[in-house]
Amino acid sequence: MRLWSVFRKSAREQKRDLMVLALSLAFAPLFVVLYWMMTGGTGSTTYGVLVINDDVSVMQANGSTLSAGEDILEAMRGLTYKNGSPLLRVSRVTDRAEAEAQLRNRGAAILIIIPPDFSRIIRSTLEGGEPITTLVTFVGDLTNPYYTLAAVTTMTVADQYIQAASPRPRLVEMIEIPLGASAARTEFENYVPGLFVLSVILLVFQASMMVAREIEGGTLRRLQLTRVTSFELLGGITAWLVVVAVAEVLVTFLTAWACGFRSQGPLWIAVMVGIITSFSIIGVGMIVASFSKTVSQAFVIANFPLGFFMFLTGAAFPLPRYTLLTIAGHAVGLTDILPPTHAVVALNKVLTLGAGLGDVAYELGALLILSAMYFAMGVWLFKRTHMKAM
Amino acid sequence: MTATTILQTKNLTKRYGTLTAVENLSLQVFEGQVFGLLGPNGAGKTTSINMICGLLKPDSGQVLIHGRPINDHDANIRARVGVCPQNIVLWNTLTCLEQLEFIGEMYAVPRRVARRRGEALLEIMGLADKRNKLARTLSGGMQRRLNLIMALVHDPDILVLDEPEAGLDPQSRVLVREYVQSLARQANTFRPKTVILTTHNMDEAERMADRVAIIDHGKLLVVDTPEALKRTMGEGDVLEIEVNGASAERGMAAVALIVPEVSTRDHTLVIRARGVVEMLPFILDALRGADVHPGEVRLRANTLEDVFISLTGRRLRE
Repeated sequence: MRLWSVFRKSAREQKRDLMVLALSLAFAPLFVVLYWMMTGGTGSTTYGVLVINDDVSVMQANGSTLSAGEDILEAMRGLTYKNGSPLLRVSRVTDRAEAEAQLRNRGAAILIIIPPDFSRIIRSTLEGGEPITTLVTFVGDLTNPYYTLAAVTTMTVADQYIQAASPRPRLVEMIEIPLGASAARTEFENYVPGLFVLSVILLVFQASMMVAREIEGGTLRRLQLTRVTSFELLGGITAWLVVVAVAEVLVTFLTAWACGFRSQGPLWIAVMVGIITSFSIIGVGMIVASFSKTVSQAFVIANFPLGFFMFLTGAAFPLPRYTLLTIAGHAVGLTDILPPTHAVVALNKVLTLGAGLGDVAYELGALLILSAMYFAMGVWLFKRTHMKAM
Repeated sequence: MTATTILQTKNLTKRYGTLTAVENLSLQVFEGQVFGLLGPNGAGKTTSINMICGLLKPDSGQVLIHGRPINDHDANIRARVGVCPQNIVLWNTLTCLEQLEFIGEMYAVPRRVARRRGEALLEIMGLADKRNKLARTLSGGMQRRLNLIMALVHDPDILVLDEPEAGLDPQSRVLVREYVQSLARQANTFRPKTVILTTHNMDEAERMADRVAIIDHGKLLVVDTPEALKRTMGEGDVLEIEVNGASAERGMAAVALIVPEVSTRDHTLVIRARGVVEMLPFILDALRGADVHPGEVRLRANTLEDVFISLTGRRLRE
């Protein structure tokens, strides 16, 4: 069977070009390690907080000393993720100019200035005096995404402290109900589904360049004279690349696992999602190859779909979805024509929320249809551009 | 015995914009022959064979193999042809035997058969000890030999060779030449083949081809056996005498009194006659009498180059 022969040939060629194989296998795991390091090597980001504590301790009626500023600092230091790693890295500073320089250099996310009368006002509230307002100052670079998270966290800590000190009950209480096992997930673990998809997306380079090599080297002309069809040729190459895709997903998973990632759902579903996605990505690679005459040309053109896949599907970071229509209760957006969109959703459901096969049936169905569509388009275009007599 | 036509082209024409690469090319190639397409670079030889093997679609005209038109959809008829391209086209990271097996399988040859044929072909081409070496590790000459046998694993009826001796070292050239001739004469392990080769080398065409078609500017000028073509140039040998440029016309007039067939080319008198060697002393006397001082004197037989020059007024390599 010619498809099998092409598969064997592709495997042999790749085996003898180990550097390319090793690099493609290492790319996504490298990203996993980078994300893990970005999240502080603990799986969750620790936000740097600088504090100028000008608060002056006061004596309470019962004779004890109240140091509200220090108390809040302690509360902030004691804030941890579920895995025990600290949420905030609190550093006391005295020089505001120096602190602001650190913020500019992104050495810390926020500077908090606690005023001198902070403890006095808290004491007044505790003793049932008239409510008086004091001013806690937050300074930070509002374009730094870490600032918002650090500010919200700090505000929550301060608010809880003040509420605990106040004899008055809260007007509104809020409760949080996490979906699935999301409460126990580290920030790093939340990135992993996107990184799995990234490992598959990168196949667009390999797929297009593998075919372009046949074009550039003239071997495709040789094959054109034989009985091999476009489907057999591209099918054989695709079959090999699917093996590479499975290896990439597994290596990425193992790396993530070593960094502390734990899947909430069955891994085999995640691998299946990876395999189906790889078909569509390889299909896109074939489309790229159809428009290429050389390997370098394929590389340049492949960057175009790669950009779309990485930045418009939620693989690199979450994106808002613009609904165009609804099919059987599922919102369909413009980016739904990009297979990784469904892969990211499906993998999030499986890996983060512990979903089963039935929960991702819609995404799997969409992926299958898109994969068949892209692959068929790739074969058709390739046949028209490279396999026909001109 | 009547020769069987295995391949026929009927009014093949291919244009690239305003350039007509091949114009109304009609050829007939007989089974078991070595057929040479001789012409200078850019004459349309490669375009012609690309149409013959189905890689290029003619703008008009037809290619028939065994009387059946070659087209995109008929892989069976296309597979009757094996093509050895001018450039080396190999998979660098496959071994010699793996390439032969793979290309055989692409022609639907069972792997075991492809392997057996591949090994036999490697043996013939002196590459048996390189069977497990990667193509990229072979020397240029070895790669060319491997390039040639890649066209034979599926045992085609017609073998098309595009400039088969280009880039070959003298040793490989002899090996390839003898092997190509043996293919047509059934002196090997395969069925007899019809060989079509393109060349701009008249020696190559003369030594290897049973029939030669000379083409120039995409047009067929003449087609016949090399001997018949050379006979059209006249009987006898050719004597070439270098003379001073200014005296060439004077020399030609003097020699014409002795030998009627004389011309000049590149400061050389070209004299064609039967028994021209015996006439040499009289020719030299005549030149001296006309105050023409002869330089180098060469005697040679008629060649296909002479045929080409007589047809086009140019040399093959011009």
